[in-house]
Amino acid sequence: MPWSRRQVVAAIPAATLAAALPRGPAIAQDGRKVVTFWFAQANADGQAALRNDLVDAFNASQDKYRLQLEVKGAAINNVLKVALVAGSGPDIVQTSGPAYLTAIAKAGQVLPLDEFAGKFKWKERFLPALLNTGVYDGKLYALPRDYESMHLFYNKEVFKQNGWKLPTNRAEFEQIADAALAKGIIPFGAGNADWKGVNEWLMTVFFNNVAGPDNVRQALSGDMPWTAAPFVEAAELSKAWYRKGYFGKNYFSLTNEQSFLQVVSGKAAMAFNGTWSFGTKSYGMSQPDTVMDVVPIPGLSPAVTSPLVHLACGATLSIAKTSQNAEGAAAVFEFMLSRSFYQNMNRDWPGKWALPVKDLPPDLLQGIGYPLFEKTIAGLHAAFSKGQFGFTTWTFWPNATNSYMTEAIEQVWLNRLSTEDYLKHIQTVFSQEFREGKVPPLPPRTA
Amino acid sequence: MWLFALPALLINVCIILIPALLTLTMAFFAWDGVGPPLWAGLANFQHMFGDPVFWSALTNNFIWTAIFLTVPVSIALLMAAALLMSPRSRAVVQPIIFLPRILAVAVSGRIFQGMIFSPATGLVAWLNEHGFSIADPLADPDRSLYAVAAVDIWHWWGFLAVVFLAAMRQISIDQIEAARLDGAGFFALLRYVLVPGIRPTLTLMLILTVIYSFQVFEFIFIVTQGGPAYGSEVLATLAYRHAFFESDVGQAAAAASIMSLFGLCATAVYLWLQIRDSANAT
Repeated sequence: MPWSRRQVVAAIPAATLAAALPRGPAIAQDGRKVVTFWFAQANADGQAALRNDLVDAFNASQDKYRLQLEVKGAAINNVLKVALVAGSGPDIVQTSGPAYLTAIAKAGQVLPLDEFAGKFKWKERFLPALLNTGVYDGKLYALPRDYESMHLFYNKEVFKQNGWKLPTNRAEFEQIADAALAKGIIPFGAGNADWKGVNEWLMTVFFNNVAGPDNVRQALSGDMPWTAAPFVEAAELSKAWYRKGYFGKNYFSLTNEQSFLQVVSGKAAMAFNGTWSFGTKSYGMSQPDTVMDVVPIPGLSPAVTSPLVHLACGATLSIAKTSQNAEGAAAVFEFMLSRSFYQNMNRDWPGKWALPVKDLPPDLLQGIGYPLFEKTIAGLHAAFSKGQFGFTTWTFWPNATNSYMTEAIEQVWLNRLSTEDYLKHIQTVFSQEFREGKVPPLPPRTA
Repeated sequence: MWLFALPALLINVCIILIPALLTLTMAFFAWDGVGPPLWAGLANFQHMFGDPVFWSALTNNFIWTAIFLTVPVSIALLMAAALLMSPRSRAVVQPIIFLPRILAVAVSGRIFQGMIFSPATGLVAWLNEHGFSIADPLADPDRSLYAVAAVDIWHWWGFLAVVFLAAMRQISIDQIEAARLDGAGFFALLRYVLVPGIRPTLTLMLILTVIYSFQVFEFIFIVTQGGPAYGSEVLATLAYRHAFFESDVGQAAAAASIMSLFGLCATAVYLWLQIRDSANAT
């Protein structure tokens, strides 16, 4: 039956009113309440793991909720913010780390999880250093999805053929790097053509392993300026190494994957890269005959005498304020803490979902057939439990400071900006963000 | 009669005018994109004018505009004139030169980045292996803007040529033949008959080029992300960085307002030219 003009005119405000009314949880065809979850980037292996080990396994594990997961890609932070403000975001809110979470929690866009945390004993189960990154204003707003760190990946065959020993300090690093350059080998495989964040991976290493984690913590607490001598030394060393060609001639042209494969192929000797690299199968690090090995990065100044790992939380998980199915979202979180999920996900997509939970010890990973990954996770678990860690830029630096630090270091390396001016500007931006309460909570460096 | 324009007007008000006014308003607020906006007065503009990256981005927009007002327009005019003179080749040449226009920007960007400029997998790598010492222009802050412009010119000039050809075909054949009989060669014909004959189309495309040049974003963001060392940063990538990496929507809105200002100037010039031509015609 065709609609009359009056009917059409009357339908418009009615539809508007209906859209504005409070919504109940969506119901799936099988009568279960739907839980929606937007995930960031996932390669083909990752998407298969998400489908099998998370979505299908969760849906099969109970009959009340149905998890619907969408992979949104690299722009998830942008999409998510807009959706949350518009009240149309997913039930499970995944951010790219505590620095992103702080703004969302401050704006009240996610629910405090304290009630669920009490019910499921999350506060007792998670490693405090990681769980504290989800606390804002005394309330828990997020669970950490994983832990990560920068590490030294190296080609042990290249080292063996050239009679090099694993460096333990700056002098030994430079000795090997110079020897490598003389032989036409790139000392450190590195490239940021597809991801500028590689700059901050490197700067995390220089700030922590040169200036020292205690100084970094002091600066992030507002007790020490970023213009202080230890940070000048850190930025200067990064510049000196770049200009000597330690990161190769094609840093701005190669993608991260291409540069890592240079290490695997022996064109480069080593790389400062993250533990997420274990998830890229083309590196072949899970193979028994891999040429690669990995260790925490040694200190690069007299202030840092032992190898250091860097505390990072690559993603946080929260529940949207507008969620109509918070219980369902909490049930998904609880499922993620199961032993079977931990083992299956880390077997199928290593390094992406290393939950920092006390009752999921790394020895659960024994038997997944990935010795390098197992030993690294065990090392991280121990170091993070004991409070022996540095602070990664993408977890603890507030957004604007981190963005400037990441972008402008290229100007320093290319001699377009002095180290002093670079650090001075970092201090200016940081001071403002510090005043505005945008620095994520800093865990103590104690057990 | 105005009722007929109402639907289009409503859509324009809702999806263009209101967001544009909101963006302009946000330039006077400090807002992280999720919390409540706070009045900031002119602070965003003061901060922006004190930022050297803003000035280099603005300069890059002017360089981009100058390049696009000359290089692709010249190539397109020459190609359009050549195709006008040789009708038989049109069927083959037109689709070929138009092809880059229908490729997704991401595809074009990745083709040039990976298959042409890359020192690992591209033409540059092959040339280096064969004795030519050539560096990746995308990795050089002094050349990266020009390298990305080359990609966009490849994508844009064929479209211009097709538009110019369509306009040239409206010119009276008598005029062209008379010029030829008077001994006009290819360039004289172009200079004295074809270009004056398509002046309204040419003006429109030049104005649109100015507007597009101040909005340019996709190619730069895909190929260099504005780098290295801000070498290819333009206002749109700067605004994006402010909004989504620094969570500073106020700064982003201030940069976007400056972008719009130049677009607005170009539109005003176009309207003025139209009014002047209409007045001359009557």
